[in-house]
Amino acid sequence: MSEKKVILEIKNLKMSFNKGRNKKKGIVRAIDDVSFNILKGEAFGLVGESGCGKTTTGRTIIRLYDPEDGEIYFDGKKISGEMNKDLRKYLSDHIAMIFQDPIASLNPRMTVAEIIGEGLKLRGIVDQSDRTKLINKMLNKVGLLPEHGTRYPHEFSGGQRQRIGIARALIVNPSFIIADEPVSALDVSIQAQVINLLDVLKDELELTILFIAHDLSVVKYFCDRIGVMYFGKIVEIAPAEELYKNPVHPYTKALLSAIPIPDPRREKNREIQFYDPKMHDYSVEKPMLHEVAQDHFVYASESELKKYKMDRTKER
Amino acid sequence: MRIYSKEDYRELDEKKFKLVQMDHDIKDEKFEQEPVGFFKDALIRFRQNKASVLAFFIICIVLFFTIFGPYMNSYGFNDQNSDTINMPCKIPLLAPLGICDGGKVIVNRRADLLGDPSYYPEGSILEVFNEREIQGVKMVDVKVDYYKYTGNGDKCFWFGTDYLGRDLWTRLWRGSRVSLLIAFVSVITNVFIGVIYGSIAGYYGGKVDMILMRITEIISALPRIVIITMFIMYFGTGLFAIIMALVVKGWVHTARMVRAQFYRFKQREYVLAARTLGIRDGILIFRHILPNAIGPIITSSMIAIPSAIFAESFLAYIGLGLQAPEPSIGVLLSQGQKVLLHYPNQSIIPGILISVLMISFNLFANGLRDSFDPTLRGA
Repeated sequence: MSEKKVILEIKNLKMSFNKGRNKKKGIVRAIDDVSFNILKGEAFGLVGESGCGKTTTGRTIIRLYDPEDGEIYFDGKKISGEMNKDLRKYLSDHIAMIFQDPIASLNPRMTVAEIIGEGLKLRGIVDQSDRTKLINKMLNKVGLLPEHGTRYPHEFSGGQRQRIGIARALIVNPSFIIADEPVSALDVSIQAQVINLLDVLKDELELTILFIAHDLSVVKYFCDRIGVMYFGKIVEIAPAEELYKNPVHPYTKALLSAIPIPDPRREKNREIQFYDPKMHDYSVEKPMLHEVAQDHFVYASESELKKYKMDRTKER
Repeated sequence: MRIYSKEDYRELDEKKFKLVQMDHDIKDEKFEQEPVGFFKDALIRFRQNKASVLAFFIICIVLFFTIFGPYMNSYGFNDQNSDTINMPCKIPLLAPLGICDGGKVIVNRRADLLGDPSYYPEGSILEVFNEREIQGVKMVDVKVDYYKYTGNGDKCFWFGTDYLGRDLWTRLWRGSRVSLLIAFVSVITNVFIGVIYGSIAGYYGGKVDMILMRITEIISALPRIVIITMFIMYFGTGLFAIIMALVVKGWVHTARMVRAQFYRFKQREYVLAARTLGIRDGILIFRHILPNAIGPIITSSMIAIPSAIFAESFLAYIGLGLQAPEPSIGVLLSQGQKVLLHYPNQSIIPGILISVLMISFNLFANGLRDSFDPTLRGA
């Protein structure tokens, strides 16, 4: 995996929001010193509880928010600098985003064809018939009919709308997709449909996907590598299999123990672990990401690292 | 029926499981119904509101008369005639019912002159009543056909005439034309300025918003009557001064409303999605956010129309209205009010018109609000 090219590199990213109108009320650190790499062609999952900064990370990468500190490199080009026309164009040509809410993410006053075609219009494809051809092709790709192009979003079901959102993101031929909880608003049967569609399109169009989710079973199925976030920090990064087999950080363990098992007998005896952030004593040693196994990183201080490594060998 | 136990599950090999959906192609079927757009949807809902539909028709009728009414008879709005001063209504169609027959009651007449054709021309006496004797003279009240009585038996003023003998039908419709013109022009200008101002304040937010909103607060703190007086001092009485007087403060309300709508919509995911596609601010404002705010904008401007009509009438009533020969509903009301007891038709008719207009526009606007935003029904 390491021989693959790094497509997105995030270094010490920081981002915070003001509580209320003035700064006196304090700030919320949404992203606190986050660094990770995403390799070309992989699906990188970002998981964590609500409000831990997953969505903020995604939105900061595509520059819906301005990062406070830190750097983001895409394909070697710095994209965290000052916003200007060229950077916006570069970003929108290469990175696209799929949003969480299939209802709120489509403009109710525009037809589906207008929604999907907007990115094309902006990229100089002014001719109506050319555009219609491309839109119809894309509609077919996501399993919709060309006839659906003349409809308004409210006439579609949740899964269909999410596929329209995918079509909108993909029509500009991006190489990197940020999928911000694309299935969490859908019911389970439709989740599978959308996830499989994303999987197929990923191979077909050679996409790299940053998959933000809180549903661990979906992430396990879809992603190659997973990063676990907790209160603005990445606490563990590992390949998907490795993370599920050998979780190291106590928060990851707690998170994995919370996955329901579709077997009532085992479910009855499932032990839920709880995570208390006070268990870490970072007053003396400063924590950072350490590699505990190949490609498996954990956020810990030196002494904790030793303990984690011991636990790991014991379990083996 | 076999009951599966824990052991049964252990026997199952994970490799035997297969994802059923994997090679299932997603295909959606065609929709059966017609596509229903935003305005069509609103129209369907509007039709269900009977009162608003009725109000809409009343507005249409008034607009029809406003446009064609002045040409329906041969009198101009400023044709003065000292022979036909303060004539009552005379509508031949309604005359058999005893209303609007050009009749007028004249009180305290000498009974012995009733037969004198130089006082009462042939056929001018309709009814004599209340005979009594005062200081030895027989007195009566007479209802006369005022048109014959004044020697204008061949003429016919549907709504009567005013103190200069001008036809009130023509003046009324011409006046409502001016009133509606003032209302529409001022409201359209208000919406135009307000939408642009409010969009900028709402979209950019932060310091821009702060400064722009403080400016609107300063403007809305100025008393209206002072602004109007100043405009009339500088530009003289006329359409322009009155429209400007209504515009100067009127757009503030629209701007605030549009700003609030922008705050509501600018963080919606579809706006963010459009931004990630690299769409410019101008397109975001006018293509993505504004169309979603169009319902409240239309509704509030429809509500603003009757209040603009009323404001214009109010100005005319207190004597800050249009230049003399030009009528407006307010001008007619203020002239009619001076002779209210003697010639009530001169103030009742414009009064009815302005009331009907205000009620109709308000009902129409309510219906529009309900059909554009069904969640606000009855609010």
